[in-house]
Amino acid sequence: MMRQWMVLFKKEWTESLRNFKWLWLPIVFIVLGVMQPITSYYFADIIENFGGLPEGAVMDIPLPTGAEVLAGTLGQFSQIGFLVLVLAFMGTVATEKTSGTHIMVLVKPVSYSSYLTAKWVHILMLTLGSYVIGFSAAVYYTFLLIDQVPMSHVLSGALVYAVWISFVMTLVLCLSALFNSSALVAFGSLGTALLLSILSMYVPELMMWSPGMLSSHSYSLFFVGEADEGFWLSMGATVALMVVMMVSTILLFNKKELAKDSGA
Amino acid sequence: MSLIETSSLGKRFNDTEAVKQLNLSVREGACTALLGPNGAGKTTTLNMLTGLMKPTEGTIQFDAAYEGDRRNYLGYLPQYPKFFGWMSGEEYLIFAAELAGLPKKQAKISASEMLELIGLQDDGKKRISGYSGGMKQRLGIAQALVHSPKLIILDEPVSALDPIGRREVLELMKRLKTHTSILFSTHVLHDAEEVSDDIFIMNKGTVVIEGSLRELQQTHQKPAFFLETEKSPEEWLHTLKEQDWVVDWELDHHRLMITVDNMEKARANLLKDEHLHELKLVKFEVAKTSLEDLFMKVIS
Repeated sequence: MMRQWMVLFKKEWTESLRNFKWLWLPIVFIVLGVMQPITSYYFADIIENFGGLPEGAVMDIPLPTGAEVLAGTLGQFSQIGFLVLVLAFMGTVATEKTSGTHIMVLVKPVSYSSYLTAKWVHILMLTLGSYVIGFSAAVYYTFLLIDQVPMSHVLSGALVYAVWISFVMTLVLCLSALFNSSALVAFGSLGTALLLSILSMYVPELMMWSPGMLSSHSYSLFFVGEADEGFWLSMGATVALMVVMMVSTILLFNKKELAKDSGA
Repeated sequence: MSLIETSSLGKRFNDTEAVKQLNLSVREGACTALLGPNGAGKTTTLNMLTGLMKPTEGTIQFDAAYEGDRRNYLGYLPQYPKFFGWMSGEEYLIFAAELAGLPKKQAKISASEMLELIGLQDDGKKRISGYSGGMKQRLGIAQALVHSPKLIILDEPVSALDPIGRREVLELMKRLKTHTSILFSTHVLHDAEEVSDDIFIMNKGTVVIEGSLRELQQTHQKPAFFLETEKSPEEWLHTLKEQDWVVDWELDHHRLMITVDNMEKARANLLKDEHLHELKLVKFEVAKTSLEDLFMKVIS
């Protein structure tokens, strides 16, 4: 059981090495992470060079604080970063189902939960790994160019945001296992993440439990070193939702028939 | 003792019954063919045996001597095997063997044995995405065999191949017969006749005829005469109807096949029939009806 899990896990690992996911995902996150502190630092120069202000206008653009830059970096991750992650993993089960490669794996004495959790752990390792590398780059340049933020604030905020990434990637895996269309998986997971974030922004009092609150908790950890009200509620709900999603996906996947009626 | 046995197996998709009341038993050590036209329910049956589909009725029993998940004792080659193209043939076989529970070392040994068996030892390190159809099919058989299962199930193993690939796979199956039980489906009678010991003929979701190849040949092959004449034998046929040794006939323009029950009597009678001589015989052949005739009869 455990050995088969390792075999499946190793297969995922080798696959993402061969298609260079282990190279380009970290690169995307490093670029995103470095961009925010650098553009913040050179913002005034950039505006001046491109002639954005009328002559005689007094240039007085205050440099953002370090916490603002870190929060801005996570904002980049939530947009472009998530898009890239979802596109990279939307087909993790769905394309195996449409091409039929999963049949020859699952006809072996392999449990469906090993098949799915091996993919899950691999996706989380790869995405969180890229995130850690990218965010470290952001922290380094923020400290270098802007100002220092207490390390405990940085670490706790980054950790909370990692849970939010894990939640979104779990959603991607579950949708990929349940639907055959990669496009539907991408649409469903990005749509859900967006909806949760927007609702948390506009009606926070109703969405205290929501995983979408986690990013604003991590921002406030950067700023003041303390999360907002309702932090443990949304943290607990997010972890619980992840467990529920995984368990119900495995159950549904078990119930689904692998071979389709080919009509032949 | 049967290795795997089904009783009243049925599978319904919405309102169509793909398989119904299917009783099948596969002997250990035998090569069994599941023969039938497209749409007879062969693939659905095999999918239920492997556990990829769940039957809506009936049961599947695997030999009680082999405990636990029956997937441990099965090897399966789907009709269209799909591999991870980024793996090499050797890597895929090791992957398949390890999934089936072989320890790493043994998986490696078994994988290289398999490559040799299917004649891919020189291509083992190449990526599967560059393999030809015949190579993929042979690799598919190898991945089904790599953990030495009790039974390998092959879905249409030769249908998609060109004549050379087909020959290679049939020869491979003949060699495999000696050390493992095989169940395979095909819509080509000739393939079934060539390699199988037992044949189940399926039509419209159920088994219509079953037996060993020899039994089927004995009971269903009747002596027959193939005649070809210059003049149409149609009128002469009416006189033939009254003869008690005639079982059946089939006329195709000037070609006539007469199935009889007593070869000697029929030959004597036909040869002294003057009306037949008037039709100007071109060909007079003593033969046997083939299983093909039986196959065509039961599936039409």
